[in-house]
This record gives sequence, C-alpha cells and structure tokens, in this order.
Amino acid sequence: MTPNSAASAAPSRRSFLASTAVAAAVVAGGVPLLSACGGSQEGRKDGTTSGKDAAKILPTFVASNVVAPDIPAKNGSAAGFSTAIATADLKTSVPEKLGSGGKLKIMAPFWGTPPKGDNPYYKAMNEAIGVEVTWQNQDGNTYDEKLGAVLASSEIPDAVVVPGWNLMGKIPSAINAKFADLGPYLSGDKVKDYPNLAAVPTDAWQRAIFGGQLRAIPMPGSYVPNIVPFYRKDIFEAKGYELPGTPEEFLSWAKEATSAKAKVWACDDMKWTAFNIFSVLNGGEKALWWNLVDGKMINRIETEEYLEALEWTRKLYAADVVHPDAKAVQGDAANRFGSGQSLVFNGDIGYWYGKTSEQRTQKSDFEMGAFDIFGADGGDPTLWATQPSNIFTFVSKKATKQQIKDFLAIANYCAAPYGTKERMLTQYGVEGTDFERKDGLPIKTTQGVNEVNGAFDYTGDPAAFVAYPDLPEITKLMVEWQQRMGAFTKKSSFYGLTITEPTRWTNLANDFEQLEDDVVRGRKKISDVQQAVSDWKSQGGDDLRDWYKKLLDDTGSAS
Amino acid sequence: MSHSTVPRSRAEADKPGENAEGAGGDAGARKKSRPERRKAGFAPTGKVSLRQRFRRDRTLILMTLPAFLLILLFNYIPILGNVVAFQDYDPYLSDNGFVAMLESPWIGLEQFERVLADSAFWHAVQNTFVLFFLQLVLYFPVPILLALLINSVLRPRVRAIAQAIMYLPHFFSWVLVVTVFQQIFGGAGIIAQTLADHGHQGFDLMTDPELFRYLVTVETIWKDAGWGIIVFLAALSSVSNDLYEAAAMDGAGRWRRMWHVTLPALRPVIALLLVLRVGDALTVGFEQLLLQRDAVGLDAAEVLDTYVWWNGIRNQDFSYAAAAGLIKGVVGLGLVLTANKVAHLMGEQGVYKK
Repeated sequence: MTPNSAASAAPSRRSFLASTAVAAAVVAGGVPLLSACGGSQEGRKDGTTSGKDAAKILPTFVASNVVAPDIPAKNGSAAGFSTAIATADLKTSVPEKLGSGGKLKIMAPFWGTPPKGDNPYYKAMNEAIGVEVTWQNQDGNTYDEKLGAVLASSEIPDAVVVPGWNLMGKIPSAINAKFADLGPYLSGDKVKDYPNLAAVPTDAWQRAIFGGQLRAIPMPGSYVPNIVPFYRKDIFEAKGYELPGTPEEFLSWAKEATSAKAKVWACDDMKWTAFNIFSVLNGGEKALWWNLVDGKMINRIETEEYLEALEWTRKLYAADVVHPDAKAVQGDAANRFGSGQSLVFNGDIGYWYGKTSEQRTQKSDFEMGAFDIFGADGGDPTLWATQPSNIFTFVSKKATKQQIKDFLAIANYCAAPYGTKERMLTQYGVEGTDFERKDGLPIKTTQGVNEVNGAFDYTGDPAAFVAYPDLPEITKLMVEWQQRMGAFTKKSSFYGLTITEPTRWTNLANDFEQLEDDVVRGRKKISDVQQAVSDWKSQGGDDLRDWYKKLLDDTGSAS
Repeated sequence: MSHSTVPRSRAEADKPGENAEGAGGDAGARKKSRPERRKAGFAPTGKVSLRQRFRRDRTLILMTLPAFLLILLFNYIPILGNVVAFQDYDPYLSDNGFVAMLESPWIGLEQFERVLADSAFWHAVQNTFVLFFLQLVLYFPVPILLALLINSVLRPRVRAIAQAIMYLPHFFSWVLVVTVFQQIFGGAGIIAQTLADHGHQGFDLMTDPELFRYLVTVETIWKDAGWGIIVFLAALSSVSNDLYEAAAMDGAGRWRRMWHVTLPALRPVIALLLVLRVGDALTVGFEQLLLQRDAVGLDAAEVLDTYVWWNGIRNQDFSYAAAAGLIKGVVGLGLVLTANKVAHLMGEQGVYKK
C-alpha cells in the first residue's frame, strides 16, 4: 500500500478496498482509498461475509440433545424448559476440565451492582472450568462510552464482551483491528473439540464474522422482536380493564386509566412498541434499518410507518398518560411498573421472569402479562426480525494460544445446554449458597440473585432457550408469546449478517434517536424529522443506500 | 501596585473626615511595607548563581516536586494529544495510541472547518453563553451575600451549624441532586402531587425546555453556593476588627460599615474570582447537563462540553472532538486575558501581573 494524499473528499474517512483485503469478503466499491500505511491492518474493512465465503470459516453444527424441551422452538422462538431436574439427574457435558489453570481478564457489561470478585459463584465457576477469570464488570447502561475508550487504549483486557447494540461508530473497525481470529480453533470440524459450541446454531455463528474472520463467540437469541409490551395483569383484572386491540383503543383506555391524583399513569415510554405496532423496520442495528422494497433500498426513517409510530407515541405524551419520570428520562421504568405507578411498560422479554420473581417475594399475587402486538389497523401486525445473536465475546489479538484455548474452555462450559451440571452451575450458582431446592424447584437465595447474574452468561450460550423451572408458567408464557409473534415476523434484507459500514458514514444517523425522543415529547415536530431525513439523504444517506444495494447484489442475504 | 491605590483613596474620600484618617492610615502602612519586604528578600538573588540558589532552595524544590510532576503528567503531557485535532486520527491503527497518532494522516484544518460549519456546534456555543451569563448574574452574587450574612452572625455555634448546612449539598453527587429535584419538581413529584390533589394538573418543571436554563442555575445555587462562601469568609476574617470599631466609633451604622469596610475588603477576592469565572465561561457544568440532556432535549441542554463528549466519546470522532475542545480552549484563554486586563484597568490585582 502506498500512503495516499490526505487532501481528498471533505469529511473523509479512510476505508479499505476489497482488493487489498486478505480474506475474500465482498466490499462495495466507490469508497476512496484513503488509508495511511503501517500497523497491522489485515481484515480491517467494511462490508460483510456470507454465502460460500462464510461457509469456509463457519463451525460445523453438531446438535446436542440432553433434555427434550417442554415447549419446542417454533416460529423463531426460543425453546422452553419448564420442568425442574433434580441435581442427581443432571448430565455432564464437559467430562474433563479444558482449562489450563491460566488467568484471564474479561470485561463485560453488568446491569446492577457487580458482586465482589472472590464470591462463591465466580470461585466455583473458575474451579469447574479450570481458568482463573477476573471480571471487569462495567455499567451496562453506559457500556458504549467505556468500550470506545478501552478499545482505543493500548491495554485491552484479554477478552471483551460487546453487545450488538453497542456496535456503533468506530467500534466495528476497532473490533477488526484489536481482536483475534478464532477461525483456526473453531472453523469447520475444529469446533468438535468444544461440543457445546458445536451445538450453537449456524445463524448465530454467521453473525460472529467480523471483518471476514470468525472473531466472536455469539450468544444466540430468538429473532422474534425482544421488546414486549407488559401490563399489570393483577391491576387490569381488579379494575376490570379490557385489553386494547388498536392504537386508538389503547389511547382511550390510557386516558381512562390515568389518575395523576392517585399517582397512577397508564404507561411508560411506548416508542419501541409503537415501532412494532406500525411495522417499522427493526431499529436494533443500522443494517436492519434497511430493506429492499420493489427493487429499491429503503431505510426505516424514510417510511410513513416511522412517522406514524412517532405521531402515535406523541399523542400518548400529549394526553399526559405517560409517567412524568419517563418524560424526564429519569429513574427506572421497570421499577415504576413494579410499584404500580405505571400499568404498561415495554422492555426486553427477560423482564417477564425477572420482575415476576422479584415482586412475588413481596406481593404473592403480583401478576404481569404481555399484550400481543396489534397492527396499526387492529389486525395482525407485521414485525421485523431482530438478529439471531446479539451479544458477542472477543479475545484480544495479543492473547497467547493458550489463553485463547482457555477462553474457549470457558465458552464451551457456559454453552452447556439445559439439563447439565454445567448449565445449572452457570445459571443458578452453587447449591446451598446461591440457590436452594424447594419442592424440587431451584430457588435463588438473595446471595444468588445478587451474584449469579450476567458475567459468565455472556461468554457462551447454547441455542436460544428459556428455562425457568422455578416459574414454569412464566417460561410457558414467554415462549408462547414468541411463537405467536414469530408467526408475524419477517426478515429484512440484512437479517443475520454482521455489517461494517464505511467509517465515513457510520455516524450519519446517530442523531435520529435523540430526534425521536424530542418529537414524542412534543419538543420537535414531525416536520423536523422530515427535514432531518432530507439532510441525511444529501449528507450521505443516498450514497449509503447505493452501498447497501451493491452489498446485497454482491453477497445476497443470509436467509 | 499603583492601580490599587486609586479606588481605595476614592473610597476613603467618601468617608467622613476623621474616619478616613484612621482607616487610610492603617492601609497605607500595610501597603508601604510590601515593596520594602520584596526588596529585602529578592534583591540579592541577582548576584547568587543558579547553583547556589538551587542549593539554598533545595528543600522547597523537593517539596514542590511531586505537585510539579503531577501537573506535568496530567496537565501538560496530555496537551500533546491535541495534535489529533489536525489529523484524521484513528486510534485503531496501532495497539498503542501514541503510535496511532504518528500513523494517522495529517489533514490540516479540515476538522476545524467541519466544526465551524456544524450548526449543532454553534447551538452548543449559544447555550453555553446563555447559561454562563445567567450563572454570572444569578449565581455569582449568592455566595457573597451568604458570606456577608454568615459574617454578621455572632454566635459561633449558630454560625458553625449554618455553615455546615450550607456546605453539605456540595458533597452530593449530581445524580443525587437531579433525582431530588425530580422528586420535588418533576411531573410525579411532591409539588405536582399536592397540586393534583387540589385539582391542578400538569405541573412539571423538569421537562420544560424554556425553564431549563433557570432550573440548572437554581440547582447549581442549591448545590454549590454554600461551598462558594469559603473564600469570601476567609477574606472577611482577615479584616481587622479595629476598622469596624473605628467605624462604629465614628457613628457608622450596620450598612455603612458593610459598604465602607466589608465590601472594600472583599473587592480583590471578588475581582479575582470574577476573572477566573469569565476565563472559565465556556465551562458551565457537565454531569449536571448530561444527566438532564434527555429530559429537555438538545436544543436546551447541549453545551460545549456535552457536545465534545458526544462526538468524542460516543461517536468516537476523536479528531473532531479535539478540534472543538481546542477552539473552546483558545476562546477561554482569550477570555481570561481580557478579563484580567479589565480587572487591571479597574485597579484590581486580577489573576496575575507582569
């Protein structure tokens, strides 16, 4: 490569041409070659890898069936396990320790208060895997801020967990530059050394290809939209409310149910649900914002549905049926829901179990349900799929071979399926300390609730599953909701792919989320969004459209 | 020195005849002693060689060394990082950030052009200045008034308790302060709840973009005004009681004593803090604004610091953010120099003198 003169196009960024890239990833042209030489840059490029090129590096799938699920996966849902299994009947999926006794530092997001580093759960896991893991738990809500700074520094932890929604700005190019290729350890049949990882579905692995190389251990998930509109079933029943079935019914119900005097508001911020009701393309990742419609690449922000969803949410705010703290973006929506200050809130489907188990300790009759998402006209909705894996763990390029193997030992252990000793330890911790058996059901102790939470869960996981044997009815409700909604879920053009946008356009649409929040709260108008969209087009949105179109023509979609 | 005598003599002129003699005489004596001291202490240094001076002051130099190193490490070396403002910096070019700096391409003033062409930047500048002026008018006088108030309290116990109560909010984090305000003035807060009980709906001070600038100023006053009085109290404690007694003897009442004795004593400190504040004009709070940014939207809450943070840390556009930060630094330097000059013209000491 020859250094290029820097005096080119205005807000320019450098990028990589396909011809110079090592792996055979397909990259759209038309990107000015603007790269300075030096450093190791192999694999740093935009675009994606799929089809034949992906097949060369993806691990072989070898199914593992330890326990048959009580509710088999359907329509993209997770598999549900609701039957508790006695300790004595648990199977073993990792017969001998794969760890070498080495040490690893892992940085991970953490929602809540991280436990002490030497707690019994971490100790037991380290002991069982044979690797001394030191966790660097960072606040999950501001993880993206930490991530950028950490990756830009010269000292990165041995392994780093990165949620898919944090893959903004330059993070994807940082990943390509800083993390190791796991292909030599996992591609093809090599994955068979790690049987639990071999049972991870291929579409989850497909997402782990960053910059042409298999760089991550993915955490598989259901592709059915994960944002669920929850309602307080107990209060709905007590008050005799009917579940609304159209956007208009929701609004009129909300007006009726809100009583500021009694400190009860109908709902919290409903923007995400509004996007689902009005069939707006999935907002999870920038690539999912795009879809090919009648031969034209369309972005979610250009659609009528997007504006309609914002307008409906705006009406809710204007009618004062949304909790004021949600308007001020303060406090925690789930807490307001738990305390009964709001009757409907939307959040990740995981809240169904989390809130119920938390609230039942104080209120035995606490009950939450979830609406089926209705369409804009009250009919069936059209939903857009989220990605089949959304949390990734990477290993630093500086890690030694032994460290990479130790890391894979952790991932393999944590990816053990339901019904194994490994899964039980990973998910419930140490029996007698972190959880206790009551009538055969594993119930977490307070210590377990505080300590067995996150961390190891992110570094490896089996195929998408829901397994809460302590609340079997919730397990069933969760999976069935996914199955019903899954029937309406479509996949957009770039579903299942991990795409690195050319860096000069990565920040182009960053301000839209803020703008949405301004519009729904009545501080900006729908016309401001239309203006922002036309600015976006002229500042590179149209170029980006061509880039995505070409990408799709060249690589095809994943599904 | 010559400047500072001017206003003092003017102040003296206002005073009734005899009083002026007493006060003026005292101040004059103090003033004279300073140049003399300076001569005695520093004049011979010219003849002493550098080495002798070093040996003589060795203990002092050793004592300042840790502080000097800290300033070098955390204040001066990072200044070098500003070069990325002239680059298209990509931290991922190398595993080492400094090497990445060397390898990033130079693009001259392009980043600055981008910043200056960005309407969001100018909007942030505008918000910053609006907040600065509001704070100057509404916040700045409050600690002075509080200091005068506290100073007039004679019973030490009451005084100590009052001071403790006023200092306390300074030690609360902004998260806590914003939460407390939300619980009181928010749409589901105590006031809104009380009003709702009496049939008034829709009270919510926390999400009103129009009121936001006043809201943050009030929060700042609540949190930091008490802390700000320390400097003024220190200045007040150095005022000789003789002055008050002499003034009282001459029949000066409470207000006259405050006007002619207390306030002149505070003047240099006020001027100093004012110069510092103006130099710091572009820094109007960061955490506080970041925490409430989403409650009122960018139009009301985006200031230069949050703008730099958003672009640098969130969008990882380090070069762009560095350029915006550098512009802020240069403007801030200009402001401090100007304010200092104005202070000199007004006959005050200011921050420094040539």
